Amino acid sequence: MKFETQLETLQAASLSVGRFSERKANLPVLGCILLTTEGNKLVLRATNLECGVEVVIPAKIINEGIVAVPAATLSGFLGNGRGKTVSAQLSGEVFKIETERASASIKTLSHEDFPILPRVSAERSFKVKAADIVRAIRSVAYCASLSAIKPELQSVLLYGDAGKLITVATDSFRLAEKTVPLRSTGTVPQMLLPARNAAELMRILEGASGDAEFYYNDNQLSIQHNSTYYTSRLLDGAFPNYRQILPKSFSTEAVVLREDMGSALKSLSIFADKFAQVVLSIDPSKKALLLSSRNPDVGEQISTVKAAIEGAQVSVSFNGRYLADSLQAISGDSVRLHSNGPGKAMLIKDASDDSFQYLAMPMNR
Amino acid sequence: MNSFSCFDVRELLAYSDECLFAPTMTTTKELWENALVELELSISKPNFNTWFKDTHIVRVEDGTVSLGVPSQFARDWLSAKFHKDILHSLRTLSESVRTVEYVISRGPKRTGEEGRVIPPPPTELPLESVHQKSNLNPRFTFETFVVGPFNELAHAAAQAVVRKPGIAYNPLLVYGPTGLGKTHLIQAIGNHFRVSAPERKVYYVTSEKFSMDYVSSLQAGKVQSFKEKYRQYDLLIMDDVQFLAGRDKIKEEFFHLFNYLHDSNKQLVFSSDQHPNVIQNLEDRLKSRFSAGMIVSVTPPDHQSRLAIIRTKAAAHNFYLTDEVLEYLATTIEGNVRELEGALNTLMIQFEMRGQPLTVNDAKTLLRGAGGTTKKAVSVQEVVKTIANFYGVEEGSIYEKTRRKEVVRPRQVIMFLLREDFKISFPTIGEKLGGRDHTTVIHSCDKIKNDIRGDSVLSNEIHQIRLMLK
Repeated sequence: MKFETQLETLQAASLSVGRFSERKANLPVLGCILLTTEGNKLVLRATNLECGVEVVIPAKIINEGIVAVPAATLSGFLGNGRGKTVSAQLSGEVFKIETERASASIKTLSHEDFPILPRVSAERSFKVKAADIVRAIRSVAYCASLSAIKPELQSVLLYGDAGKLITVATDSFRLAEKTVPLRSTGTVPQMLLPARNAAELMRILEGASGDAEFYYNDNQLSIQHNSTYYTSRLLDGAFPNYRQILPKSFSTEAVVLREDMGSALKSLSIFADKFAQVVLSIDPSKKALLLSSRNPDVGEQISTVKAAIEGAQVSVSFNGRYLADSLQAISGDSVRLHSNGPGKAMLIKDASDDSFQYLAMPMNR
Repeated sequence: MNSFSCFDVRELLAYSDECLFAPTMTTTKELWENALVELELSISKPNFNTWFKDTHIVRVEDGTVSLGVPSQFARDWLSAKFHKDILHSLRTLSESVRTVEYVISRGPKRTGEEGRVIPPPPTELPLESVHQKSNLNPRFTFETFVVGPFNELAHAAAQAVVRKPGIAYNPLLVYGPTGLGKTHLIQAIGNHFRVSAPERKVYYVTSEKFSMDYVSSLQAGKVQSFKEKYRQYDLLIMDDVQFLAGRDKIKEEFFHLFNYLHDSNKQLVFSSDQHPNVIQNLEDRLKSRFSAGMIVSVTPPDHQSRLAIIRTKAAAHNFYLTDEVLEYLATTIEGNVRELEGALNTLMIQFEMRGQPLTVNDAKTLLRGAGGTTKKAVSVQEVVKTIANFYGVEEGSIYEKTRRKEVVRPRQVIMFLLREDFKISFPTIGEKLGGRDHTTVIHSCDKIKNDIRGDSVLSNEIHQIRLMLK
């Protein structure tokens, strides 16, 4: 095997592929990137058996071949490389790689054991803008549960509805839902993408433009975007029917500036107790949102945020972090809070954009 | 390679296969375990541990073994790399194996759960369903309540309460022996109220739970929130209030709660196994408060009602009984409704197992002993002892030829009960109680029978004694 290619492309590819290798696996070859030559292309693959990725880059192939190179070593070396091009060849079990200023010999592993990346037939597919899917996952993935008690909540739910792709995640204390347009027709059934894999997918597609193609079957979801192929297993299980718990009517609504509320929450977190409790009161007579937190060991703070309010006075306490989390997924400059009084969940929305909604449960005092 | 190397994998298998499938599972499980032992020898340890973890045989059909694997990664890899080895090892163990196919399945344990279509939504988010709020069992409604002469008064009172809560009969107290539908009736009031006035707050609590709530609020120093909790309800239903007797602090708390709710015209509904006046260790102020509203009793169902109850219950389960069996059940099981239900359940299970209609003889064999449980054999001495204790007279004096007033009444009650409840002949009773003439016994029985009608104290005493003799 012998090839030459652009250093920068190989650098980027090995970095993004290398993330999927797993150093501590039972099978040592899973810590490797598999390099394969295909015509005038070089294919990089890595997998941790949960999900896998494949990136194709153009290269000048002198000799065909296949090799499994430890990912950390390869991307570590390339990351510090200088110059424009890189050339590499395999001699025996040693992979020799050379940049402008440095050359290295890397011990390789037998590629025989490297697993096949699952392929999903193109029969069932849909299309979404790459930037949209990244935004959708970023808006909800942090809500996924960290506990393994309910595996279906450790995932991001994807499904199609009326020309939209909807993503949802919840840990049963708060729930986020984001809607982005589908770029294809047809239906998309409910799929549970493990939250960790969803985060990886987000990173792979970060900064990408154009459409991403999704292929799926009952167990696997694959995404093709330009020269990158990503595949992840899907969880089997049923996501709770979350729509029935979204409140339809509200007793109080308030609109506040996102920045005002964000900075108030940030400074309140200094005074919050170990449960991060923040008391939120919507006061129509003062036309303001009063936020307060109190820690017996530190002190207390009250912040006033100007608000446009409709409805009755209400005061509810929340985990401040849950409130702050919702704001980072909102891009508009104002936020709409919908409350149904103490003990009831509060719905948070972008005031100018209906595609995102966030439901937070209050704390029991 | 040593024998420990695949230990972890096999242990996982053993775990996941437990007790779920029919007997064939053990054989397929064994088959796969043996195959794994063999495969382990031909495959490197890392490969073995990576790819054969969480695998199991889903089913064996016509020589095709369906192998459950955890993911598409495993499916693709096993079929590409290890298919030959797997097939070979399975074939050497079982000649009938022709092919192996791979299916993605998360193991028997999870497939068992897949039956549920939609799991309950996250518990924390929708927090409280109506049911939890009121603590009522939705099964208990007026629709499923069988009304007969034995409980029609109680039923009518309950209906009145539902129509005019807080006004008609406040408090309403239903009392009667166990298993006659007291809980059903009072919960039905709550369930009806919940539907007819959803904005009002209903709460059902047993006196036991009430006591525990109180004690834990004391321990946590939150008595105030305990008071607030119970004072917010528009309809408070408390079951088995007789258990409040004897607990001074709790009785006091209950007394205040009672006054508060009653004064603000909130409806109160109670049940008890005795008339409040005969509950021992209950203060007069509570007794009089219970009596301020309506006290109704439920008695054991008569023969016709028992028939009706069995019919309703059987129909609810789509279970058909011949008239003879119905008749037999209604005649033999004279006790409470719960016993009737139990007997009916026994018959239903038998019917499901046999798949053919039951005859009276079947029912007789199945329910042998069921009817007898209602009447316990009690010796005359025991009856005498219990009643003498009850009235605080010496046991020996009953047998003596004394006509002291405090002894005469208990003696008459003893005779009456021996005759009425234990069906002992008049001469025998006379003989057992110190050789009295049978006419004396007849006179005593008649006297008590007559007195009961006009004397509520006496009738209460007899009711209590009967409970003690059960």
